[in-house]
Amino acid sequence: MTDTVELTDVSKHYGPLVAVNRLSFTVSPGETIALLGPSGCGKTTTLRLIAGFETPDTGTLRLAGEDVARKRPYERSIGLLFQHYALFPHMSVADNIAYGLRHRGFPRQDIPRLVAEMLALVKLSDKAAQRPGQMSGGQQQRVALARALATQPKVVLLDEPLSALDAKLRQELRVELKQVLASVRATTIVVTHDQEEAMSLAERIIVMNHGAIAQQGTPDEIYSRPNSRFVAEFMGRSNWFAGRISGQSGAGGLTFATASGITLRIPAPAQPHPAEVDVCIRPERIDLAWGTEAAEAAAVAPNINQVAGRVAGAALLGADRQFLVELVGGDRIVASLPNRLRSVPAEGEPVSVCFAAEDCIVVPSGV
Amino acid sequence: MNVTRPNRRRIDDIIGWSTAAVVVLGLVFLLLPLLVTSVMAFDERSFLGPMPPPGFSLHWFVRFFSQTYFLVGLRTSLLVAIVACSISLAAGAAAALFLDRTQFWGRGVVLATFLSPLVVPPVVIGFSLLLFLAQIGVTWGLGRLVVGHVIITLPYAIRTALASLAGIDRRLEEAALNLGATEARVLWTVTLPLIRTGLISGAIFAFAVSLDDVAVSSFLTDPTTYTLPVALVSSMRATFDLTIAAASVLLIGVTVVLMFILDKAVGFDRLIGRGMFGR
Amino acid sequence: MRTTRIWLLLILPSSLILLGGFLLPMLGLGEESFRLFTPGRVGAVAGAPLTLNNYLELATSGFLDFVVETLRISLIATLIGLLIGFPMAWWIARRLPRAGRAIAIGFLIAMVLLSVLVRTYALELTFGSVGLLRGVLRALDIAPNGRGYIECLVAAGLLHSVLPVTALTLLGTVQNLDHRLTDAAQSLGAPAWRAHLSVTVPLCMPGLLAAFLISFTFSISAFVIPMVLGKGRVLFLSNLIYTRFSEIADYPSGAAISVVMLAIALFFVVVVSNIAARQGRKA
Repeated sequence: MTDTVELTDVSKHYGPLVAVNRLSFTVSPGETIALLGPSGCGKTTTLRLIAGFETPDTGTLRLAGEDVARKRPYERSIGLLFQHYALFPHMSVADNIAYGLRHRGFPRQDIPRLVAEMLALVKLSDKAAQRPGQMSGGQQQRVALARALATQPKVVLLDEPLSALDAKLRQELRVELKQVLASVRATTIVVTHDQEEAMSLAERIIVMNHGAIAQQGTPDEIYSRPNSRFVAEFMGRSNWFAGRISGQSGAGGLTFATASGITLRIPAPAQPHPAEVDVCIRPERIDLAWGTEAAEAAAVAPNINQVAGRVAGAALLGADRQFLVELVGGDRIVASLPNRLRSVPAEGEPVSVCFAAEDCIVVPSGV
Repeated sequence: MNVTRPNRRRIDDIIGWSTAAVVVLGLVFLLLPLLVTSVMAFDERSFLGPMPPPGFSLHWFVRFFSQTYFLVGLRTSLLVAIVACSISLAAGAAAALFLDRTQFWGRGVVLATFLSPLVVPPVVIGFSLLLFLAQIGVTWGLGRLVVGHVIITLPYAIRTALASLAGIDRRLEEAALNLGATEARVLWTVTLPLIRTGLISGAIFAFAVSLDDVAVSSFLTDPTTYTLPVALVSSMRATFDLTIAAASVLLIGVTVVLMFILDKAVGFDRLIGRGMFGR
Repeated sequence: MRTTRIWLLLILPSSLILLGGFLLPMLGLGEESFRLFTPGRVGAVAGAPLTLNNYLELATSGFLDFVVETLRISLIATLIGLLIGFPMAWWIARRLPRAGRAIAIGFLIAMVLLSVLVRTYALELTFGSVGLLRGVLRALDIAPNGRGYIECLVAAGLLHSVLPVTALTLLGTVQNLDHRLTDAAQSLGAPAWRAHLSVTVPLCMPGLLAAFLISFTFSISAFVIPMVLGKGRVLFLSNLIYTRFSEIADYPSGAAISVVMLAIALFFVVVVSNIAARQGRKA
């Protein structure tokens, strides 16, 4: 079966600026992937290349096996949800949705029925006659989605689909969006700078940086086993230790000596690695022990790193509590504990920072 | 530390009041002559007497409409304005589309050239056209007037069309392309509807400019083809009576109608800062 | 490419209009201004000898006085327009409620669209020699046909045209101004008038320059206003050109005046634009 979207060595320059640099990836039919990266990483240019608003300088771009690099946007069967929706302000909601159906040559008598179906799909059946300007952001987003899906495109592109909404609405609509996309079984590419959006919507994530792929894999792989400091930092909060690998530990692990003089147990990286590495631990993977617990924790856990420290600051964030802990060597790390503990360490109290060796993320230094 | 200095506030008050006074003075200056004219146009006396009129009648209007000299001018004016503005609007919108959508070396110069009739004194435009058209042998009065009026209205059409094109969100056009519309259909179904209000305000300003012109038209008229403003000016210089007050009231009426269309189609506050005024 | 040709098709009509109706005539005008004029003929004979006479004649006759008069009255009208228009714009933008502002803007736009004939006639009717203030003028011992008064009338006519445009142009500027800036200046201890002088006026400089340029170029090329209100005693350059054409049919001389007038207009456009550009770079 041919892949629905296939980019091979695609490059795009704007003057001296390289927006996309020899980019290659494929998307299988029905798959949902996310292009994730900071602004300027080339993800938007990639989307515009696939949609046909830009022409690649080099490389091939295939949709369902057909080379479309030189085709006009209207010669490609692609549904696009624009970042700020780009709904036609001078047309009603129904006309917005019908626009693609009219221009893609759907039989005239079918159009009202198809529009009604799309409106029902996004639960806006009663808004057909309204103008987009009269609707809330969430409703506009749904109209835009209905418009993009109405022509049953082979590929659906979502450009920052939820970024224009406020945080609360975003979470609601994310679930809804996922359901709608699943129900139409379209091949989908989500372009976003929000790692939560990417992880929750996509089966596979392609992290981009400087116009090229930094890493691709399932959300779990990318989050838990990033291959570089860039990916690790982009995917979530992280505490970093710089240092070098100092030797073997039991059970196939390694030991790591930080520049600040702490020794940690870390897992052996899958790929060959230099001696200089950076080690990262996610805040939510850290446990704190204090008072009498501290001694107990030390006694029972052989594969757990335990570092003494002192609470330098604490903040309640609702579901979580964050602690800033200053370690013995002078490093400061952030630990995040679920807010269901009855008692918490006070500021200034000595604590023991515990985290499993296998939770440590090891990446080559300085990348 | 806060030192109270009462005379500071005094100065502020004085300046505040004098500002208000200047504003009121300006409004009075703008309105008073128009009020005087409007009242006098209904004067029942058959001569120009002092204010206020002893009684009111429509006889100055009757007199205006009974003079074929004015009626011929009015007909020519309307004809020239409609034809010239249509040409300017169509050609101007097309040119604006070109200038908005293409990037090329010398684009600034081309744009400046298209807008240059705005800074050339209309008398110079009229005189140069007179010489040129005589040289190439164009003697058809109506045609000469239309050419002159297209030249003075075209920059307005281009400028308003350009300003409204610049205000379009390009993603709307991309969305239309993405939904299967070809470039031509995008233009027709998305771009033109979105700049409609800009085109209307451009049309209204062009129409007002055309209907008001004397400087260019004076050079291009012939004894049988002349515009209403030209007729009114020569009549104003010959005899100063109140027929022209009646004509003025009618022209004020035209302005009110144009304003009405403008407000319904565009809305006044949207005109500010959208290219019509300022740079 | 196919699309390029379509794009060129779009610019073609305007280009042809501009070329045939404006650029070529302007060149022709320039050429005419160097042709020798034979009195008694209409225009120069085709192929008449080239000469600088038309310009030399301007340099020797009282032509310079007309230039000075045109510039002087235009400048006065423009400056008064700014002096009234600026407070007016500020007042409308800041002091009027939303509904009042819409009405005020509508009124000013109507005043822009208003026919120049109506203005001149209304001013003559109200303030002119046959006008309704005759009694007042006589009481004040002002001769309505005196040169000074006629100059005032012409300036008033220009002001009537220029004031609405000035106010609207500046209204855009004042509206875009962040009014928190003057609030900030006042919270730092400046009285309102100094806050305006040190914050509002400098920030409005581009708008003021634009309004000046629009008003001034309009004024120096005014035609009907000086012709009707000036009663032949005040003549602007426009009127001079028309007289050469209509009364003595001396086309070459008219063309020479046109060229001079065009040069003056362009000179001011270039100078003021440069000042504005320098202002913009500073801001």
